[in-house]
Amino acid sequence: MAKPQPKKRTAAQVLGDVIFYVVVLIILGFFLAPFLWMVFNSFKTPLQIAKMPPDWIFTPTLANYQNVFSSQKFGNYLWNSIVIGAGSTFFGLVLGLPAAYAIARYKQYGIATAILIARIVPGITFLIPLFILFRQLQMIDTYQSLILAHMLVALPFIVWVMVPFFESIPQELEEAARVDGASILQAFFQIILPISGPGIVTGAILAFVFSWNNFMFSIQLATSNTKTVPVAIYNFIGYAQIDWGGLMAAAVTITLPVLVLALFTQRYVIRGLTAGAVKG
Amino acid sequence: MSNFLDRNVKWLFPLPAILFILVMMVFPILYTVWNSMTPWSISAGRPPTFFGLENYQKLPDDSRFVASIGRTFYFTILAVSLEVILGVAIALLLNREFRFKRIINSIMLLPMMATPVAIAMVWLLMYVPTTGIINFVLRAFGLPEGLWVYNAQSVIPALALVDVWEWTPMIILICLAGLTALPHDPFEAAVVDGASTWQTIRYITLPMLMPTISVATLLRLIDAIKTFDIIYTMTQGGPGFTSETINIYAFVQSFQYFNFGYASSVLVVFFAVVLSVSLLVTYSRRSLEI
Amino acid sequence: MKIRLMLALLLVLAIVVACAPAPTATPVPPTAAPKPTDAPKPTDAPKPTAAPAATSAPAATTVPPTAAPAATKAPEPTAAPAQPYKGANLRILVANHPWYDYLKTILPDFQKATGINVTLENYAENDLVQKLTTEFTAGGSTVDAFMQRPLQEGKLFAQNGWYVDLNTFIKDAKKTPDTYNFADFQKAAIGTETVKDMLTGIPIVTEQEVLYYRKDLYQAAGLQAPKTLDELEAAAAKLTDKSKQQFGFIARGQGNPAVTQFSSYLYSYGGDWFDQNTKKATLNTPEAIAAFTLFGKLHKNYAPPGTTNMSWPQAVAVFAQGSVASYTDANSIFANLLDPTKSTVAEKTGVVVFPAGPKGSVPYSVTSWGLSIAASSKNKDAAWEFVKWATSKEIVLKEQGVGANPGARASVWADPVGKSKFPADWVAAQVASANGRGYDRPLVVQVGAARDIIGTIITAAINGEDVTAAANKANADFQKLLDSEPK
Repeated sequence: MAKPQPKKRTAAQVLGDVIFYVVVLIILGFFLAPFLWMVFNSFKTPLQIAKMPPDWIFTPTLANYQNVFSSQKFGNYLWNSIVIGAGSTFFGLVLGLPAAYAIARYKQYGIATAILIARIVPGITFLIPLFILFRQLQMIDTYQSLILAHMLVALPFIVWVMVPFFESIPQELEEAARVDGASILQAFFQIILPISGPGIVTGAILAFVFSWNNFMFSIQLATSNTKTVPVAIYNFIGYAQIDWGGLMAAAVTITLPVLVLALFTQRYVIRGLTAGAVKG
Repeated sequence: MSNFLDRNVKWLFPLPAILFILVMMVFPILYTVWNSMTPWSISAGRPPTFFGLENYQKLPDDSRFVASIGRTFYFTILAVSLEVILGVAIALLLNREFRFKRIINSIMLLPMMATPVAIAMVWLLMYVPTTGIINFVLRAFGLPEGLWVYNAQSVIPALALVDVWEWTPMIILICLAGLTALPHDPFEAAVVDGASTWQTIRYITLPMLMPTISVATLLRLIDAIKTFDIIYTMTQGGPGFTSETINIYAFVQSFQYFNFGYASSVLVVFFAVVLSVSLLVTYSRRSLEI
Repeated sequence: MKIRLMLALLLVLAIVVACAPAPTATPVPPTAAPKPTDAPKPTDAPKPTAAPAATSAPAATTVPPTAAPAATKAPEPTAAPAQPYKGANLRILVANHPWYDYLKTILPDFQKATGINVTLENYAENDLVQKLTTEFTAGGSTVDAFMQRPLQEGKLFAQNGWYVDLNTFIKDAKKTPDTYNFADFQKAAIGTETVKDMLTGIPIVTEQEVLYYRKDLYQAAGLQAPKTLDELEAAAAKLTDKSKQQFGFIARGQGNPAVTQFSSYLYSYGGDWFDQNTKKATLNTPEAIAAFTLFGKLHKNYAPPGTTNMSWPQAVAVFAQGSVASYTDANSIFANLLDPTKSTVAEKTGVVVFPAGPKGSVPYSVTSWGLSIAASSKNKDAAWEFVKWATSKEIVLKEQGVGANPGARASVWADPVGKSKFPADWVAAQVASANGRGYDRPLVVQVGAARDIIGTIITAAINGEDVTAAANKANADFQKLLDSEPK
């Protein structure tokens, strides 16, 4: 990576570069193709979608998007997803940050294990018990029930990201504040949290994305008022009909917000995904 | 007050999270374990009254269950090993300065951020043997066509391919980050010694990157073994039962056959499987001192 | 502003914690009996319904939540004001289905006429069942009415006491005026909805299996529409040219979904799933094996590749692209094939009655969907108002008149308006098959498991494996299932 490039390039090096870029292009093509196909088809009629060889040039139709937003009311579902995603992220942070701090500072690895087990329990395990729980609490048909369920995904992830982050903060910072007479609580809120911004953003973005993408909890706990977008995509599959155009337009609608979010916060997202695997 | 807080902060800080976990996780798990020891079935009209380990005794004789275990590992190992091989190779390839590197990093993020249910629909459309784009492209290049998820032999590899598409970028990004963090000295020494690129990779880069690769691999193992959205959306376990993993089988037993007791025993066994894989993660993290 | 919400949630958490040990110690029984603790609390309070609140009249006065259906008359004036259930909120779970697509457009009429707020909650077929089952199993469900597949879930839901017996409404002249004309419903459809003398739902969707065929391809090859399965096979063979991506036949081949569309083959060969009297499985009788073998052969030799993971959406897509000559499936999917915006071969596709086997043409003729009221509903009377409206002759005629859905009322089929949107050959095939077999899958409680067992034979047959061996194994498994059925 740090090798200096020689000034004069030989033919072999140019050829090497060409091969390199061709290979990179192929790799990119592989990762991008499904997205392109999805967007491409979202502007086609069902007949055009199933046509092989495909029409590469065609008059795009907006009918699929009209269907998604007007008759299927995806605006509502998007809003539900935002509320539930933001809620579970926020409360995931409220619970997760202090916990992660204590784990990092006081080596409470037992607690860490308990929280991380939530990440490995098969999701199906929760479906019926959680429904019973929320029924008992009269919380069916509320955002709260979905927020709590999605926190099962968000909280372990936030802890997973934040523990190494807090561990990387030098203990001297906190100790200096303590010497100046601050309580631990003050030190945490005034010293530690402000410098943890990048870590928090990382955890928050990914917790939000995971909540957004969650299918299993949402399908079981959501009702018509709280339906999230991954569940709503099934609106396009009916008893005697399947609307591929609408499906593709819905798929675009669902994935676009998270993709945009991920692109704008790339740095943090990469940090979050590589957390725990790479030192530092 | 403040003193009390200070003295007990190591318990007080995690307390809300612990309470949350107790209610939202421990209760469902205990409830499932209890159910697994009852014959509870909505369809057979059997109540949830305790009857011991009978469900577990039935499991070894249930050929669908036994097959689903093998299939789960087949899918997981196939997908994860492809992801690791491809991921490491691509990371090594991209580990240099070149134009568009940032853009490429961005594009790598997309597959793993995209909603799996939506993406599965797109792959399903692309996989259709007669009118799908993939076979059309293969045909155009004169390559043999596949039946993808529409055939018993190819369904698991086809599903694994979707997983590979979705998660190889994670391995790439982790390895790229790991590569950046490597010390420079050994590489400079290698250049001085006149080592070839391949030798450098084989004897210096890979060994130093190994801890990163193994953690990334184990992380992927935990998630791949639990894959649900993609399989549920694309095949629901078909054709026949040839893509029915443990997760899907537990779902079918619960919500298509309504045998909640028996399904719970499947889930408990499944949990044990994932837990052992996870312990492997923790263990190797410790032993590798990461 | 978020703080308040946050505090409320933390409070909720605290409550959760406080209640935690109780449910762990005593798992909730699966029976439908609503927990007494739920009864007094109306469930419709917190949610902002999609429809604007039509009225401020308190729901409690119009809909007594705990009263048994028979006793509810007392507090209501018998002179029946126009809107006795004004202000009631109904939560109704439906499947994504053309019936629902059209109904939601005319729903405001009902809300205006009755003052009842209706929330229709739609799901894909499988998700609907999963949702209903969890809610009913956990108890305390707020579902008032729901769409249901009598042949799939009928026995299961009835066994668990999740239905209201609609006979109590039908037989009550005050609740069901003569103008509703219950006798108008097809006898077979009502029979399908009846489990042990209990009317579990009102039939809303009927369907039969038919043969779709490409008139142009058949004609070009000098063939007539097949009248027998032998002719179908011969035509399929003649019209298959794999080098040109041209195939003679298609049908669902994915094990579980294929079972219903295979049923007509089985019946036409003289077979059945099991003997109703002796409860003996009959999947490996010579008739059944012949039917499975033919079905497998048609797929293996004359269908496009990959049918074993194809349900109707994939099969329809292939047929609509014009590469297949014949297709057996439900007549309810006809719009996908006969609508020029969805099919390239709409004008060239004909519909005929299911071809005859050794025992004649015996297609299924079933009620695929019905509308039911939940036993746990606290608004049963208002829910009946909705069911009555949605299944009234007027609405059924509207549904059928726009071609949205083939209904179950004889008078609507007799009405020219009721037929106007259906092609003539489709109607002819519908009439000819109306007397077919009333079930398209085994009539058991554990339908899902039974279909999976039968599906293994279909998969084996399509893959060219030993059909007899597969049938013997499946028959044994199916027998085990039959023996385990609750009596």
